[in-house]
Amino acid sequence: MDSGYVALVLNAHLPFVRQPDYPRFLEERWLFESLSETYLPLLRVFARLEADKVPWKLSLALSPTLEAMLGDPLLRSRYIVWLSMQLELAERESSRCSGDPAFEPLAAMYAELYRQNHDDFSILYGGNILGAIDFYYKKGRIDLLTSGATNAFMPMYRSYPEAIAAQVEASVVSFRTAFGRSPSGFWVPQLGWYPGLEETLAAYGLQYSVVSTRGAMLGDPTPRHGSYAPVACPNGFTNFIRDVAATDAVWSDTTGYPSDPVYRDFYRDIGFDLPLDYIAPYIEQNQIRTFTGFKYWAITGSGDKVPYSPRPASAKADEHADRFLRDRQAQASAASPYLDGRPVLMVATYDAELFGHGWFEGPQWIEALFRKASRFEGLKFITLSEYRRVYPDNFESVPEYSSWGDGGYGGVWLEKSNDWVYRHVFKMIERMVELAERFPDESGLRERVLNQAAREVLLAQASDWPFLLRAGKSGSFARKQIEDAVTNFNRIYEMLCANTVGTEWLTRLEKRNNIFPTINYRVFRHKR
Amino acid sequence: MNIERLNGLSIDALYALSDKMGLDLPVGLERVFILEALIEAFEEDSEDRKSASDAAVHIEEKKYSGSELDEIDASIDAAPCIERRYNETVVHVIARDPEWAFVFWDVRDDELEMLRLGDGFSGLFLRVIKEPSYDGKGTASFDVVVEVDDDHWYLQLPEEDRSYRVDLYARNGSRSRLLAHSPVIRTPRGLLADSFADLGSGAAELAALSGIVSLEITQMPNHHPSRILGGFDE
Repeated sequence: MDSGYVALVLNAHLPFVRQPDYPRFLEERWLFESLSETYLPLLRVFARLEADKVPWKLSLALSPTLEAMLGDPLLRSRYIVWLSMQLELAERESSRCSGDPAFEPLAAMYAELYRQNHDDFSILYGGNILGAIDFYYKKGRIDLLTSGATNAFMPMYRSYPEAIAAQVEASVVSFRTAFGRSPSGFWVPQLGWYPGLEETLAAYGLQYSVVSTRGAMLGDPTPRHGSYAPVACPNGFTNFIRDVAATDAVWSDTTGYPSDPVYRDFYRDIGFDLPLDYIAPYIEQNQIRTFTGFKYWAITGSGDKVPYSPRPASAKADEHADRFLRDRQAQASAASPYLDGRPVLMVATYDAELFGHGWFEGPQWIEALFRKASRFEGLKFITLSEYRRVYPDNFESVPEYSSWGDGGYGGVWLEKSNDWVYRHVFKMIERMVELAERFPDESGLRERVLNQAAREVLLAQASDWPFLLRAGKSGSFARKQIEDAVTNFNRIYEMLCANTVGTEWLTRLEKRNNIFPTINYRVFRHKR
Repeated sequence: MNIERLNGLSIDALYALSDKMGLDLPVGLERVFILEALIEAFEEDSEDRKSASDAAVHIEEKKYSGSELDEIDASIDAAPCIERRYNETVVHVIARDPEWAFVFWDVRDDELEMLRLGDGFSGLFLRVIKEPSYDGKGTASFDVVVEVDDDHWYLQLPEEDRSYRVDLYARNGSRSRLLAHSPVIRTPRGLLADSFADLGSGAAELAALSGIVSLEITQMPNHHPSRILGGFDE
């Protein structure tokens, strides 16, 4: 019997950013960068593993906002344009770095990366990344989970069951539309759990999720298997528990693998290093310095930065994969005697975008993990759904309110920089519930208006905006996203109160915020 | 810092930006000094962000690799376009962690005016009620006096794993009048539900192997439950 299982769980998420009113938009780059450095490279890893018949499997939580953007024709076409720009920059970089023994190969590496991305995206997948994911989902390699509709931090809205239900319903519908079947797993955004959430999730046919170690261990009663087996709520909803050691191995700022000096430095980028004249065509408005993706330096550690060298970095990724598996094996051996013959489960959860975008060598590390796993006796990869199928009976305990954010609760999304958000979002929810009660059976134009109002409420709930306000990154953009949603919603509310509808304005808004096309505003009716 | 972009801003925009950055610059300052102060503030901010011990934030931040001009753009594009309040009498409370809750409230203009015109109005206060019962009475409560201009506070709550409600009152001389009350919230536990000693062998070992010591969720000698400023992640 296997003594230990590792469940690798990746959370793929980006907030909804789509600005058709502008020819180019800075924050749309978040999607393009993640496609280029994470999603497409990971798909290449999966294809290589398949080709070599390496047994691999993982769980992937795909947020509905990312799902919507990956399927959006406008953003797909903009990605092709962006890739063309990157290829042009790569060409210029190859000329600029020509003859430089350290930088010329790196310029060639980026040229190859963007060429491959271009070919894969436009030819191999025909722009359909969701289709590529679906291929592995149907093959049983990827266990797909859905997530909160707009990545809302659920505990903030627990006083509003209608808002929680709307987050869940929109995500389930979105998943069904994209993949043709109902999801059974639900990634709770930011691992933001609270007791009682299981009732809403189960009502939508969802069966399992992941919670933080803190949340699980603070559950009532205290789990008897620690984080090495999931816990079940009284209604049967299963919560897998994030493993602290596996998390720290990758996640820790100071000791995590991505901080190794040989890996590529994320922050040094020609967008900031080269003269403005040179990079102007490749940055926003020809003058706002941004990351370009062309990074030539290694993390290095103390002292002067040294040029990045891919070969030792690859070797290090390989070594880190080895270390990860060895450490999990040791962990399984230590925990196994206390589990009454049940195999140890270690749930390793990370942001998908860490791999490749944040940690350039991350996809190589994942590939090495799967290739090496067969050599580690007693250790096997498993998906969450597969584990639940094999071990349906678990210790009964309801996790405590918790998250994976700093401090373990809600402090990241509720502090002085972002607390103003809740006054507005609470009011939107209350008004949306009021509208849904006043107009329970609308059709035609009024139904469209009400559905758009519901979309705006969901968009305002995104936890990404409070997060960015706190982090001081893109704070102005985050603020504007919230203000826009509030303004749009309030305008709709006033229109409905005055019994007038600006059709032209509504149509424009529907085209811009076109997420959740089949949303049903009635989800906001009072929950009794 | 992109000096070219800053140079393109008007003096008013630079002052608006410095306000946003929390700088208290004297009126009529030469342009060059405003620029200098802003650049310094941006650099400090950037350093603070880099050194913050919040791994989850750092990792997630990298997804949002915007420009260096995020804050500057705020002053250009993001004119306040939403009302700050909704002119209603209301109080809300959100549990943040085992110790702290965020409370925000408002009093309708006409209601506040009436209160002010009445005899003996001396201000507002919040009554924090622990374990409120269905008949509206609580087992214990304490009051927090707030200024009439205040509209939010962070309240330190005395016990974890307890229910609380916050009522908003106006004080009229020796009497008080209830204006609004919040829904009931519950503070989460900060420590294990069961005593570590009661877990029994096997369970205790597995708890330890799960890393609960680093999470500081077991009762330890000299344990201080506050982790508001804690630097650990999960």
